[in-house]
Amino acid sequence: MFDAFPYDEWSEDVAEFWTFGGGGSTGTWIMTILGFAVMLVAFWGFVILENRKLTHQASRLKASGALDRPPESSTTGHEA
Amino acid sequence: MISSIFWIAQATIEELEERIALDSAILAETFYFWTVVVMWLIHVGFMAYEGGASRRKNLMSTAMKNILTIAVVTPTFYYFGWYIYGCFQEGWPKNGHASPAAAEGFCGASAPWSSAMGPNLQDHITGVFFLAFLLFSWTTGSIMSGAVIERIRLSAYLILTAILGSVVWIMDAAWGWSSGGWLPRQFGFHDAIASGVVHGVAGVFAFGVLLNLGPRIGKYTADGLARTFRPHNTHLTLMGLMLIFTGFYGFYAACLVIQSTVFPGWLNIYLSPTTLGAIAWVITIGFAGGFTGGWFASKGDPFWTLSGGLAGVISVSAGADVYHPSLAYLLSITGGMVAVWSGTYIEKRLRVDDAVGAVAVHGVAGFYGVLLVGIFAGGYPTGINNVESSLGGQLVGIMAFLPLAFLPGYVVSWILKRMNLLRVPPEVELEGLDMAEFQQDFYPEFERVPEIVIEPDGREVDGAPVLLESYWQTSADGRPARAGVGVGEERS
Repeated sequence: MFDAFPYDEWSEDVAEFWTFGGGGSTGTWIMTILGFAVMLVAFWGFVILENRKLTHQASRLKASGALDRPPESSTTGHEA
Repeated sequence: MISSIFWIAQATIEELEERIALDSAILAETFYFWTVVVMWLIHVGFMAYEGGASRRKNLMSTAMKNILTIAVVTPTFYYFGWYIYGCFQEGWPKNGHASPAAAEGFCGASAPWSSAMGPNLQDHITGVFFLAFLLFSWTTGSIMSGAVIERIRLSAYLILTAILGSVVWIMDAAWGWSSGGWLPRQFGFHDAIASGVVHGVAGVFAFGVLLNLGPRIGKYTADGLARTFRPHNTHLTLMGLMLIFTGFYGFYAACLVIQSTVFPGWLNIYLSPTTLGAIAWVITIGFAGGFTGGWFASKGDPFWTLSGGLAGVISVSAGADVYHPSLAYLLSITGGMVAVWSGTYIEKRLRVDDAVGAVAVHGVAGFYGVLLVGIFAGGYPTGINNVESSLGGQLVGIMAFLPLAFLPGYVVSWILKRMNLLRVPPEVELEGLDMAEFQQDFYPEFERVPEIVIEPDGREVDGAPVLLESYWQTSADGRPARAGVGVGEERS
């Protein structure tokens, strides 16, 4: 079999092999908590950033007057 | 080659068994990996489908929802979605991390800090199995995505889709779409290819959201009659649906279980026997029946013909592991028809603005499919307890899933609405979401033409006066009044 690397021996002795430790290790816990925290911050960021954009654009559109209802024309016939 | 033959001659039975077990595990790993690749097409398809169905001014904001679904559902599903699936199969993890009884220790192994949730030389299955479920989660989000286009805030959608994809659907999957779930083990609940657990639940969740979101500005007249907004690119929509159909083959395949040294052959998710050929028959003839039903029920409408195909497949998915092709053909025709009729009812009678008919195609057809199993596959043994499927068992499942799907969608969207975070400002909706979100039009080389809306009587009118009149009557909370009848001018 393939003998450049002790794969058979290694796969029997080693299961999880990711960076910062195996399952339940301190390193894995820290990475999990960090990832979870960043995920929450990302949600907060999605809300805040979009709210800014929408508020800005809505204010701009209102200020432009382009969406205002045109003044109703007089139908009473009174003249100055 | 010669050395391999020499090794086989020298190997002991134990060594050969070990090698076969490893090959079998790697084969299963490869199989699920490629189902995931094929299932990506579902999301390509949903993006094209919804993007084409939107008006030009909302194209990118519509597509961005589908793209960012992946950005939020993936980490939430990794950090707690998969954990829910592992731990809540019995309703509650009765033995903590040793739960459930049917797959002892799966709860603990599904925690994000466990040894199974990362590169592991002794575990070839967890990673790809997790990914297949993750793709189902994206699908639930994409189902809701189409219903809410053109007025929902991107951020609100992302919060809702994370809850749907990483809490709601995966909870119902734990209950009714697992070998240890309380629904199959106690009631013989049978939903093999996820008519209800994916499609039905996502459709009903979307319905709860739509009730709070409200219709698009100008969708309904003062009399409550529905106008039609013309999709900006029907070709893109139809191509998107065809891509979804292609991806569905991966979806179907990923719903089966295979590992030859552990199981006797192909099994469904409840570990009852079936074959890949059985479900391939049903999905293909299900499309055929669905297109036929959709065509006749909609009198040849292209959108509903293709949506009918999807609904047809969804309506036979629950029993796809046991249905005869002829039965699947007949049932899927009715499924396509049910979707068209219910979609029309939801739009015109309930006055709920579901932009792509997702509630009808996925929600109604999904639960219809669950019900059909009780009628046409009653008596078929399901799961490791071999409890017979029955109409009663299917109804128990439906009664469990309906509130599980509807309440979170309704309550969370209601909270977002109260915080003024659910819907874009009406001015932005009128102008189009792309200008606010991205500050650009995404067809810069094409001249803009006036927006057209189709009045309930079929007249095509200039959209601007209709939409402006509705905008002016918009209430303070951002929900548009159903106004603007008759203000459009008929186009010559």
